[in-house]
Amino acid sequence: MTSQDHLPPTRAEKRQAKRIKRFDNPWMNPKLIWGAALLLGIIAMGIIGRFVWDPDLVFTGSSMLRLPPVGFENLRGQAGSMANPLGTDGGGRDVLALIIIGAPNTLFVGLLASLIGMSIGIFLGFSAGFLGGRTDDIIRVSADVMITIPPLLILVVFQSAFGDVSLTMMALLIAGFVWQSPTRLIRAQVLSMKQSGYVQMAQLSGASTSHIMFREMMPNLVPYLFGSFIASVTTSIVTAVGLEVLGLGPQRIPTLGRTIYEAINAGALIQNLWWWWGIPTLLLAIIFIGLLLINLGLDEVSNPRLRRLS
Amino acid sequence: MTEKPVLTLKDLSIEFPTPQGVVQAVKALSLDIHKGRRVGFIGESGSGKTTTALAVMQMLAEPGRVAGGTIDLGGTNVLDLDEDQMRRTRLSRVAYIPQGAMNSLNPVMRVEPQMWDGIIAHEGKLDRAELKRRSDAALESVGLPQHTADLYPHELSGGMKQRVCIAMGIILNPELIIADEPTSALDVVTQRQVMQTLKAIQSEIGSGLMLIGHDMGLMAQTVDELAVLKDGELVEHGTVQQILEAPKHPYTRDLISSVPLVGGESFLNPDARAKAPERASAEPLLRFEDVRKNYGAVTALHPMSFTLQGDTPQIISIVGQSGSGKSTMGSIMLGFNPPSEGRVLFEGQDVARMSAAQSLDFRKNVQAVFQDPYACFNPFYRVNHALKFPFKQFGLAKSDAHTQTAMEEACDAVGLDPDLVLNRYPHQLSGGQRQRLIVARALMLSPKLLIADEPVSMVDASLRASILSNIYDLKDKYGISILYITHDLATAYHVSDYVMVLFKGHVVEAGPPKEVIGAPQHPYTKLLIDSIPWPDLHRSWGDGRQDWDPVKLEAEAAKARSIYRGIVPGFDLQEA
Repeated sequence: MTSQDHLPPTRAEKRQAKRIKRFDNPWMNPKLIWGAALLLGIIAMGIIGRFVWDPDLVFTGSSMLRLPPVGFENLRGQAGSMANPLGTDGGGRDVLALIIIGAPNTLFVGLLASLIGMSIGIFLGFSAGFLGGRTDDIIRVSADVMITIPPLLILVVFQSAFGDVSLTMMALLIAGFVWQSPTRLIRAQVLSMKQSGYVQMAQLSGASTSHIMFREMMPNLVPYLFGSFIASVTTSIVTAVGLEVLGLGPQRIPTLGRTIYEAINAGALIQNLWWWWGIPTLLLAIIFIGLLLINLGLDEVSNPRLRRLS
Repeated sequence: MTEKPVLTLKDLSIEFPTPQGVVQAVKALSLDIHKGRRVGFIGESGSGKTTTALAVMQMLAEPGRVAGGTIDLGGTNVLDLDEDQMRRTRLSRVAYIPQGAMNSLNPVMRVEPQMWDGIIAHEGKLDRAELKRRSDAALESVGLPQHTADLYPHELSGGMKQRVCIAMGIILNPELIIADEPTSALDVVTQRQVMQTLKAIQSEIGSGLMLIGHDMGLMAQTVDELAVLKDGELVEHGTVQQILEAPKHPYTRDLISSVPLVGGESFLNPDARAKAPERASAEPLLRFEDVRKNYGAVTALHPMSFTLQGDTPQIISIVGQSGSGKSTMGSIMLGFNPPSEGRVLFEGQDVARMSAAQSLDFRKNVQAVFQDPYACFNPFYRVNHALKFPFKQFGLAKSDAHTQTAMEEACDAVGLDPDLVLNRYPHQLSGGQRQRLIVARALMLSPKLLIADEPVSMVDASLRASILSNIYDLKDKYGISILYITHDLATAYHVSDYVMVLFKGHVVEAGPPKEVIGAPQHPYTKLLIDSIPWPDLHRSWGDGRQDWDPVKLEAEAAKARSIYRGIVPGFDLQEA
């Protein structure tokens, strides 16, 4: 026998021990923490920004037109100044103020839409899985049909009919297109859980249907619900930004998509006004990366097999 | 034995690093397997038997690793081989026959090309005729007809799939065959057939066999040498004869005595006969009126009528193979599954037509213990939720303190320490502990009828007897009538007052257990009893005969008329 058991731990073994410790608390997942930090950063920027910066600068003509960010020069040779650190757009609106107001708005539409969509999905998924029969048929078929309809197409028609809409109205409209996949997911889970031993045990214990749904099944669905929620936030934001970039979102409220729409409309791309469209795009990218990291992190939390020791 | 052994394990240690520290799965195991010998590895789940086998194949799951010792396979040190050499060693020198044959075959490929894959991987491209000749020979050697080669896995039965797996394993004439619980998913009749095949083929090619299992009876009928493992340690090793006749280690003695024998000594204590609780209604406890169940065009249960009076607590056993309709009967009694025809009456009330109050009363009085103790607890809650909730739901709890004492008493009654188990999460308890908790749960509710659907088939062998006696005690101490659904005739023989043997939804033989199981008359009952492996060396169970054909015997059984034996007061089965 070798005496390998008594050697002091090597660096590799120490690293292994550290990984094992991290393995112990699944919520201390680096991806999850980074993702949450990015999104919280956007929200914090929106809150703190309103105090340290003047939100009135989002209105047309509050500053000089097409000023570059600090440290750059625009085509007319004007240098950026601290009065508009991220420059101004073609209407003289301050880009920093635009993103302080606009980025949280974009996130808000996404969260609200998927919150509503998830609630509809949970309700319909449980009803379909639990009641079965005709109810199940109707819910399943309508969810399947809705999934095949491209949401942008319908929303373009809706929005052009409505004209100017509020953020909440837009979230409601989008919610009508993000309930299908949570419905299908929950229905499938409920169907398989209905056969599980502990649900049978609860039935034997004389539990009411609502007890079985919300006290026995729901807690075990939480990881799925979280994952599905994050996925539908992503879809909602993509849809919302898509509409805004087409110029169909709320007309008077600054959002990231609307800012990009205006930049494209004013020919910012060919006039080399990169800060006008570039900065909102960068923020959108940060939001999506944050959501993706949260989704990956949640995956590892709810599926221990993805967490590897080595 | 001067010849070099096929496999030599020397001081083999295997460990798994986990968040709670390093787990020693196998500790300093030394063992030889000689050419042509069959060595059984027996032990509970978690005793390291499969881990040892996987280490020989170099297929340990991450992050497990061999911490010390050597594995010598006929002169080659397996631990020194690199990935490619190991790949060439697998199958050609060591064959592995896995536990779940149903999942080991590729569902989209016919059997034949799957068998060729192994040959081609080891010997390169051969011409088709040669491949065909060899796969046909392998199939023939496991007693499968030639046309099996052209079938897809879903067209084969469980036993046939397992035999295909054996054929694939031996196609390159390996020096060592490792069979990891090859029959655990099969019923007894098929088990006997598969084990016979395995024994015959092994002696034909003269390789060593490492058989992993937990069933002492099966081991006694199959292997030459036994290695008893407990918590990763080899506690006893010797020939079957030595171990069965003079076990040295107390754990081995436990394992042997935990196998119930038909006609052997009972593992139950016969004292403490309690009276049934006073019953308010004169109606029989449970009554089946021409109950029939169809699943589509298939009839799972043919019309059946019986009456269980329930004035004296009794255990009625329903035995049969999988697919005999016994679990369907159980779910019909529980009201989970409405019968296609006929009525189920509980104390004169039709189970399908009950008001909410009656239904709650029915639920309180009819409880169940299911097969899978792992699924019966909601993973989200601590286990006491499963005990507390029904107690409160049925209005039995007077106060929280009362609930707590009731739970503790129930745990004590099934031999569990309440302080240790009640505040744990289900995954922290073993299968045996969980199943006892389910029994404790039923006990707290003091039902009139308990339906025990295969309550011990997923529990380690050494615990089966004690859980069954827990259930048996319920009958006597608390006066609960029990319907015991099982495939295990030996336990049914001991616990029950009346036995019904089900075959394809028909009752083929029924009566007191001493007559039905002790001296069976119906060919099907005989077939079942002949198939049970018992730790009795003088029985000709798996002697490698190929003429024992269960298919023919079953066909004969289907023609025979049902046989009704003696009558037991309190239970009345109507002859069909």
